[in-house]
Amino acid sequence: MSSDKTLFADAVELFEDAPCGYLVTRPDGTIIRVNRTFESWTGHSRANLQDRRRFQDLLAPGARIYHETHYAPLLRMQGSVREIAVEIVRADGTRLPALVNSVLCTDEEDRPRLIQTTVFDATDRRRYEEELLRSQRRERDIALQLQRSLLSGELPTRPAVEVVYRPGVSGLEVGGDWYDAFDVVDGTTFGLVIGDVVGRGIEAAATMGQLRSAVRALASTGLGPGCLLEALDGYARRHGVGQMATLVYAELDVESGALRYSCAGHLPPLVLPADGDPHYLWEGRSPALDAFGVAARRPQGACTLRPGSALMLYTDGLVERRDRPLDEGLEALRAVVARLGPRADLADAVSRELGDDGHDDDVCVVVTQT
Amino acid sequence: MNALQRNNVVERGLPDGPPMVFAHGFGCDQNMWRFVWPAFADAHRIVLFDHVGSGGSTTSAFDKSRYATLRGYADDVLEICRELDLREVVFVGHSVSAMIGVLAAAAEPSRFGRLVLVAPSPRYIDDEDYVGGFTREDIEGLLDSMDSNYLGWSSAMAPIIVGNEDRPELGEELTNSFCRSDPEIARHFARVTFMSDNREDLARVRVPSLILQCSDDVIAPDTVGAYVHERLEGSQLVRMEAAGHCPNLSAPDETVAAIESFLRA
Repeated sequence: MSSDKTLFADAVELFEDAPCGYLVTRPDGTIIRVNRTFESWTGHSRANLQDRRRFQDLLAPGARIYHETHYAPLLRMQGSVREIAVEIVRADGTRLPALVNSVLCTDEEDRPRLIQTTVFDATDRRRYEEELLRSQRRERDIALQLQRSLLSGELPTRPAVEVVYRPGVSGLEVGGDWYDAFDVVDGTTFGLVIGDVVGRGIEAAATMGQLRSAVRALASTGLGPGCLLEALDGYARRHGVGQMATLVYAELDVESGALRYSCAGHLPPLVLPADGDPHYLWEGRSPALDAFGVAARRPQGACTLRPGSALMLYTDGLVERRDRPLDEGLEALRAVVARLGPRADLADAVSRELGDDGHDDDVCVVVTQT
Repeated sequence: MNALQRNNVVERGLPDGPPMVFAHGFGCDQNMWRFVWPAFADAHRIVLFDHVGSGGSTTSAFDKSRYATLRGYADDVLEICRELDLREVVFVGHSVSAMIGVLAAAAEPSRFGRLVLVAPSPRYIDDEDYVGGFTREDIEGLLDSMDSNYLGWSSAMAPIIVGNEDRPELGEELTNSFCRSDPEIARHFARVTFMSDNREDLARVRVPSLILQCSDDVIAPDTVGAYVHERLEGSQLVRMEAAGHCPNLSAPDETVAAIESFLRA
């Protein structure tokens, strides 16, 4: 038994040489006591701290704001705070990255009496976290650049095409919405496509790049929308690209207004006739690309757009909300377009009206006027 | 979506009483007022809310362009007042919300009866002769601090937090929930807050105001409080014993007493 006494440190030794820094402060942060570990880690001697400095005075300015706006309020409201990352300025001016835990001790009437704080050296951990953050940001920047370079191509001027692309607000990654518009046959037939690939980030941007190139290449062979999507489906399956991606491909004869279109798992195009109510194009529907591991038949629909009509393609961010069924979203879009009527900035106006409703998904709207 | 949902507006107190709107500052949410508003609940209609991106607000309502300056946050305050049809409002704003109140009162003076500015600062960054207390590098340091502190928000937790706006009991259990916010939005709010310069706006306010100046407030030091007092016409300055930046939490009794005597006057 007597050997236990020599084996186990007494309370003072436990406090002074604990493998973490210890601070006891008044509720306003004034330091009453620190342990030896804190002294040796920071180079501040207790004589210079106790009753002279407040804990927050030892923090780097940025961390001091964080202390005042997050740490102190949380401690008061929760009675404890854990795992807060701060930088402590050492006596020699260098900084100690630390993780701190605090508990608020109160008296019988629940008034704050003391704050006890432990400080852990987090130098390596902080370096590692910074590396992770940096690489996450770099990846987002690459994906954004890739996506921008894919979506920033010149649009045909006849017919006029208006595009609104608004990335969702949440998260670090770019989304999977994409569009394209191009001449299929020298100035008479015009191809228009909008799509949404699964996932986000670099992978999604790369997928949309491949699908976009494939659509352009296939369109130039004169397949027409239905057959083009069948060929694209085969391409997706053979090369393992764009599984479950949705898209609409439409070809418009600029002279006659003849429109042919095909939808692979995508929301239906909306037509606003020159004189009449807007309506959806519900024909030519088939599943998303490479959806069930079998080659789907890809029918196509057709109609004629009279001069002065508008054709709107869009992605689900415009109509889908967590708190309402999709058909209500589609009806809301139809009603907004009916109210706005024909106008040059239809895509912009629609996305403003419906976008303000609160969304965190990407929104892409492409409108062409005949 | 209306402002009441978007800003997670909570009403307490006397429904027909003169309205008091409490606005929290950068960092936490409406819980910052938990020790203060009850003192006014028997004679006032109490309106609490969260700024978009904080607390129980609708995160998806965040729009970088709308909230590019504090004016966007002031517009939210005005929308809340309109939707509740509040008049002669006693607006109590802490920290950055003091300036948000200044902007709202300058835009629609008729809505406001009195302003209570708790630890206000019209500009945090030093500028020539003006001493705000911070440099641009300090603010970058704050953004770094925010990057290394997720306060219970990670991509694994975010769907649970965001997806349960209608089940607040789930949110309550999460640690650090009072200061929880979407990190991207919080960074944006930090930048807008600490880069803001609303010194010119002080002269546009005609509403009687009270400035509560704490002692040893590193975020809004004495000189800043005096600056606000000097330029805010008809303002009253009270130097509090409370130390730090959050007297609403650290010294609620002193805070309540100061507001009460201002409202009685």
